[in-house]
Amino acid sequence: MTDDELIAETRAFLAANWAPGRKSSGEAYGRHPDSDFLQRVLDAGFAVPTWPRESWGRGLSAAQGKLIEREFAAAGAPGAGQDRSNLWANTAAAHAQPDFRSHIVPLLLTGRVGMCLLYSEPGAGSDLAGVRTRADRDGDDYVINGQKVWTSGAADADYGMLICRTDWDVPKHKGLSFFFLPMQQPGIDVRPLRQITDEAHFNEVFITDARVPAANMLGKPGDGWRVLMTALAYERSVMGDAARGPRSGKAGPKGDAALVELAREAGMLEDPVVRQEIARVTAYKILNRLNNARAKADMAQGNSSPIMSLGKLAMSRILHSEAALRTRLLGPQSMLEGPQHPCAEDANFLTLNAYFTSIGGGTDQIQRNIIGERVLGLPKEPELDRELPFREVKAG
Amino acid sequence: MAIGADEMQAFLDGWQRLLAARCAEADVRRVMETPEGFDRALWGEIAALGITGLIVAPEHGGVGGGATELERVMEAAGAALLPSPLLSSGVLAAGLLGALGDAEAAARLLPGIADGSRIATVALTGPRARWIEDDVAVTAAPAGNGWQLDGAAAFVTHAEVADLLLVVARAPDGLGVFEVDPAAVATNALPAFDRTLRMADLTFAGTPATRLAGAIPAWEAVEAALDLARVAIAGEQAGGTRRVFEMTVDYAKARHQFGRAIGGFQAIKHMAADLLLESESCTSAARHAAERLAAGAEDAPQAIALAAFACADAFVHTTAQAIQMHGGIAFTWAHPAHLYLRRARADAQLFGTSDAYRERFVQALEQAR
Repeated sequence: MTDDELIAETRAFLAANWAPGRKSSGEAYGRHPDSDFLQRVLDAGFAVPTWPRESWGRGLSAAQGKLIEREFAAAGAPGAGQDRSNLWANTAAAHAQPDFRSHIVPLLLTGRVGMCLLYSEPGAGSDLAGVRTRADRDGDDYVINGQKVWTSGAADADYGMLICRTDWDVPKHKGLSFFFLPMQQPGIDVRPLRQITDEAHFNEVFITDARVPAANMLGKPGDGWRVLMTALAYERSVMGDAARGPRSGKAGPKGDAALVELAREAGMLEDPVVRQEIARVTAYKILNRLNNARAKADMAQGNSSPIMSLGKLAMSRILHSEAALRTRLLGPQSMLEGPQHPCAEDANFLTLNAYFTSIGGGTDQIQRNIIGERVLGLPKEPELDRELPFREVKAG
Repeated sequence: MAIGADEMQAFLDGWQRLLAARCAEADVRRVMETPEGFDRALWGEIAALGITGLIVAPEHGGVGGGATELERVMEAAGAALLPSPLLSSGVLAAGLLGALGDAEAAARLLPGIADGSRIATVALTGPRARWIEDDVAVTAAPAGNGWQLDGAAAFVTHAEVADLLLVVARAPDGLGVFEVDPAAVATNALPAFDRTLRMADLTFAGTPATRLAGAIPAWEAVEAALDLARVAIAGEQAGGTRRVFEMTVDYAKARHQFGRAIGGFQAIKHMAADLLLESESCTSAARHAAERLAAGAEDAPQAIALAAFACADAFVHTTAQAIQMHGGIAFTWAHPAHLYLRRARADAQLFGTSDAYRERFVQALEQAR
């Protein structure tokens, strides 16, 4: 099929099935409000076109897949490009056992199941392979006990993607297994986790004798780490809401001159120290944009770019320094909060929420390890527990 | 700009080959100890390659390149720590003559600058040395058929080796650019912390001068030349930053203590990760400024001011951290890290400080809204 034929077919499909100008509210943790439309997308082979024909796809090239995505994006229609963006479906399609795979993948591609991630634990954050939630075989099921944290959407989820330990007598990466854990069952207790921002976007999940069919295991017992790596690779696409704006709801000035405007409003624009800081922080923002543009250009020419790994560090620096500058503009006003003091509310929220980026999804310190090791080729951190049976690994 | 992408790459490859062959660390160290501070034989080859005439128009014997080509050329020069009057002659003086619009002077002076036979420099700031119009401290008065200059100019780069001085001075009717024979000027060579740099303070006392005609106000022409110089320095800073960074990462892999390569220690690894961000941001800022200047874009002043402080600070920070990360070996004269730090500290002052450029940047933001 030529590119032109593919584009024509995609347009015809969209013309027949998607009202122009209709808005889609988008996917959140697996569920999608337009699941009937997504079913038609799936049936037409547009959901995951680069997958093989026997697996919901059409065996198209990545470039042809992009053509379909572009048409969908132009129409504002959801559901295309899930072969790149659907974390849940990609993980299941790659690793689920055949029966469960045929059952769950279409549901995931049509937004009919709610999902959550059961990865981090109070004792396993940066060192994720150190999880201590356990799965013990009992007949056709596994029985799960343990505690997970930083889980979004847990209360409504149908399934949680769970990494847990099935073998305690092998080194830590080798004793892990990965499940689609049914969430709506008595042994699962979801409690909102109050954050430093006084919001609760995440949950703690306490798991006590919850059951999961062995058929829901992805990969084999002990394959959990490998499956997790697949899932993490797709995770970026659901972590898109990383840097949120101020909380007051006030839009505030935008663009490169935003901080100039804020300083003007605060009556601080003539302060030479403030002006220096405005330049510094605005420069961080612009440099990050220029770096990303250069990386994109490099990638478009088929070259890899070390810059891709730098975005998170750059964003942390931007968020923390901008929050500090906003605090400086406010002075003692920054001691206040509440709806009467929206500027203070914003500055204080941004100060605290900057940690969402500098800690969430791996701390900046772990990111520096990754850059040092994978980009610059420096030696890996020694891991004292890497070869020890997990039972003997020190915890606490 | 007449140079295509492939042609430009070939040009840069040739330039890098020349620098690798003739401007290795040992060459830099040898040349920086000579009184002239540059290698005349190498200068001839630099000229033959078209580098000295890079931004000179083809009708005056130049290549007709612009800011983007200049920036790339300077990245390579900065990486090699090239000691030469290129910035003074091929950028500042060539840029000033190109911008000023005195056709006779351009036709008479630019071909020599382009072919390297004439080394020129520009005296444009007084002892306050902020490279701004207010700081011009030379006055010009009519004398016979020409003019005579009085006063002082500071931090004039490569004045001692210049065959031609362009002096910015205050005439009764406003600022002008004057052509002066360097032999007629009292030159006080300054001992430079960056041993690869040559600078002098100049004193004018009834010094005979020829006034160049200007199609645009003199300071506008000076700013146009300074913009090219800022982009050139940003390129030099980007190239120097990257070279020092790579040198440091290589060393962190090779140097072993406590039975491990020191790059395996997070104390070093995390510094390296942060410097990668510095180095890449520096390159992005320099190239962006060059593109905006070459395009004559409305936001060019903002992009140039950004590059001027971001690249200056990145080069100083990276070279300073590089010494710390190397440890004792980089405290020795024999190690090249300090040569880069010295260059970085000079580049951070020419032609204006980071603080001043941050202020200019904020002013550009204020105007852009």
